[in-house]
Amino acid sequence: MSDAHAAAGALAARALLWIVLAGAGAMLATAVLSLPEDGLGLADETLADLGRTGVEHPVTAVLMNYRAYDTLLEMAVLFLALVGVWSMAEARPRPTAPPGLVLQFLTQLLVPFLILFAGYLLWAGAHEPGGAFQAGAVLAAAGVLVTLSGAQLPSVPRALHRSLLLLGLVTFAAAGVAVQLGGGAFLEFPPSAAKALILAIEAAAGISIGLGLVAIFEGGRPSEPESAPR
Amino acid sequence: MTGADGTPLIVAALLLPLAGAAIAFAMPRTTRWVGIATAVVLLAVVVMLCGAVGAGGELSHAVGGWGAPLGIALRVDGLSAAMLLTTAAVSLAVAAYGRSYFRDESAGPAGFTPLSMLLIAGLNALFVSGDLFNVYVTLEVLGLSAAALVARAGTPEALTGAMRYLLVTVAASLVYLLGVALLYHLTGTLDIRLVGARLESGAAAWSAVGLIGAAMLLKSAVFPLHFWLPPAHANAPAPVSALLSALVVKASLYVLLRVWLDVLPAARADFGAVVGALGCAAVLWGSTQALRQDQLKLLVAYSTVAQVGYLFIPFAFTSAAAAGTAWRGAVYLVLCHALAKTAMFMSVGNIQLFGGDRIGELDRVVQRLPLTMAAFAVAGITVAGLPPSGGFVAKWLILEAAVQEGRWFVSAVVLVGGLLASIYVFRVIGPAFTKGAQPRQPRRVPNAMEWVAFAVALATVLLGFFGMPLLELIDAGAPFGNALEPER
Repeated sequence: MSDAHAAAGALAARALLWIVLAGAGAMLATAVLSLPEDGLGLADETLADLGRTGVEHPVTAVLMNYRAYDTLLEMAVLFLALVGVWSMAEARPRPTAPPGLVLQFLTQLLVPFLILFAGYLLWAGAHEPGGAFQAGAVLAAAGVLVTLSGAQLPSVPRALHRSLLLLGLVTFAAAGVAVQLGGGAFLEFPPSAAKALILAIEAAAGISIGLGLVAIFEGGRPSEPESAPR
Repeated sequence: MTGADGTPLIVAALLLPLAGAAIAFAMPRTTRWVGIATAVVLLAVVVMLCGAVGAGGELSHAVGGWGAPLGIALRVDGLSAAMLLTTAAVSLAVAAYGRSYFRDESAGPAGFTPLSMLLIAGLNALFVSGDLFNVYVTLEVLGLSAAALVARAGTPEALTGAMRYLLVTVAASLVYLLGVALLYHLTGTLDIRLVGARLESGAAAWSAVGLIGAAMLLKSAVFPLHFWLPPAHANAPAPVSALLSALVVKASLYVLLRVWLDVLPAARADFGAVVGALGCAAVLWGSTQALRQDQLKLLVAYSTVAQVGYLFIPFAFTSAAAAGTAWRGAVYLVLCHALAKTAMFMSVGNIQLFGGDRIGELDRVVQRLPLTMAAFAVAGITVAGLPPSGGFVAKWLILEAAVQEGRWFVSAVVLVGGLLASIYVFRVIGPAFTKGAQPRQPRRVPNAMEWVAFAVALATVLLGFFGMPLLELIDAGAPFGNALEPER
């Protein structure tokens, strides 16, 4: 009796949920259909000031100059994701079985080109699609490939590794503060120095993004902590 | 009104916690000192910032020199300053407590300190932001760091709670982002004030505000969207529960309040009535659930559901005078509740360490952990809203507004919520005096943990005596006054 009661209650709750969802969906559909065909945007303003941003590609200008602060916080999000992964577990031990011939050969063939390509994307970001995030992703692909093929990534001291993981965020913030100390606003890159500053930030960010993604792929912090925090 | 003096302080408040996180990560040996040192400096910076805002009204800063709509504007008025002050105060207490709580932690570079500093960075960035998309990025920082912190407890329950919290908070962020996308399409800007100036009432505008509202109610765990809060807050390590209950649930209240004040005045009365009713329901439901709990941390977590309800009641008021009074009370309550909940979770953390985290298992705790139980009782006075605590001042203001508008039901809810809170606080204190059914072998609780909990609890009472300067700070830059005037 009470079981049937409970089942009926659950059914009613589920039906109510669907009704609410359908109502919200209908409302949203009406809203979206009512939108003007040509939405307002900031395309004209973005292009009008492009000359003062130090880059020629509007997307890069938005990411690295107009809304550089958002990108700075996104770098913090990536750092946070890494710290979060490291805080949960130690990395799995790598498989020791030797990789197949194909994987080994392809890795040796591809990795140098991937690194070169990452450098190209970084440079190209100033005038066509590309930039630090794309370059970092390609760099990470190279790192993941090396990891999967069972080869050792070049071993660097732990402290250096962590510094490189932070390089992008720290460079970005330091550049922002430096221009502010020079009399501008936070992250206000003077047009004459903007190109150099943005390239430096993107290079640093690209390295940190690439290493960060590889470290996240490893699935945990490096094993055996060097010292107990005390 | 660009405050030339205050601007570096805003940027410092943003970057200090990031720097703390970076140092703790790069040099794990420093981790026991970095958190507390950063928190001390941050508190000093925020107090100076509050002074600047109190003296000169709203401060603003155009990041990158572009200004809205192309760039991102940072704005700090009395409301932001009060939220920053709350954050800095709680982060100092939690850093001091966490130092002892996590002293055996072996996570190396990725422990409590960098994660909590990143959480603080996200909060500070949110409270100074004047841009809807920038707010979304700060919500990402908040959600990720909070979920990772909950998982630090390592138990299966904590991992489940953390995962559910992560899914809820990410889903809510995406709903928020959809609302922001609609607003951008309609107005061609992401700056909160410019959106408000350009937005015209219509189906899309209402949907956008509805989406943002629903997302923030979910993130704040307002009844009936509170289902994720008790498991996450109750299973997290005590200092993390304190951060979540004291600060994180209020971040989404802040976002909703900003949107409500600045974006769509036409929607105010209708949305306000709904949100206010949910707030009342949350007070009653959360309090009765807290009464029924046996596990201490769940009791405190349900109490958060109830107290957050109070913060949403002022949305219901329609007259400028009553709403202004109620909002001052609510923002004051944010500060008082933050400190009180911090003290409560710390006391419960001490009791847990001592042994036994259920009411039935309390065994002469008062005699053996006098400071801890005193902290719980004193914080309980603020949560119940009894004089002379800060909670009394805050709830008195909300009550005054309710009486002013003749909303007797709301007044009754405010009073009944206080009564229920006194009962659930006393349910803990009573058994703490007496001998438990099973005598326990106590474990030692570090002195620092007892003293920090007690000091924070004491601060909530002191807040009752410093009401006036704080209420004046909240009013700086007239966050409520200006926005509410056109409604008359």
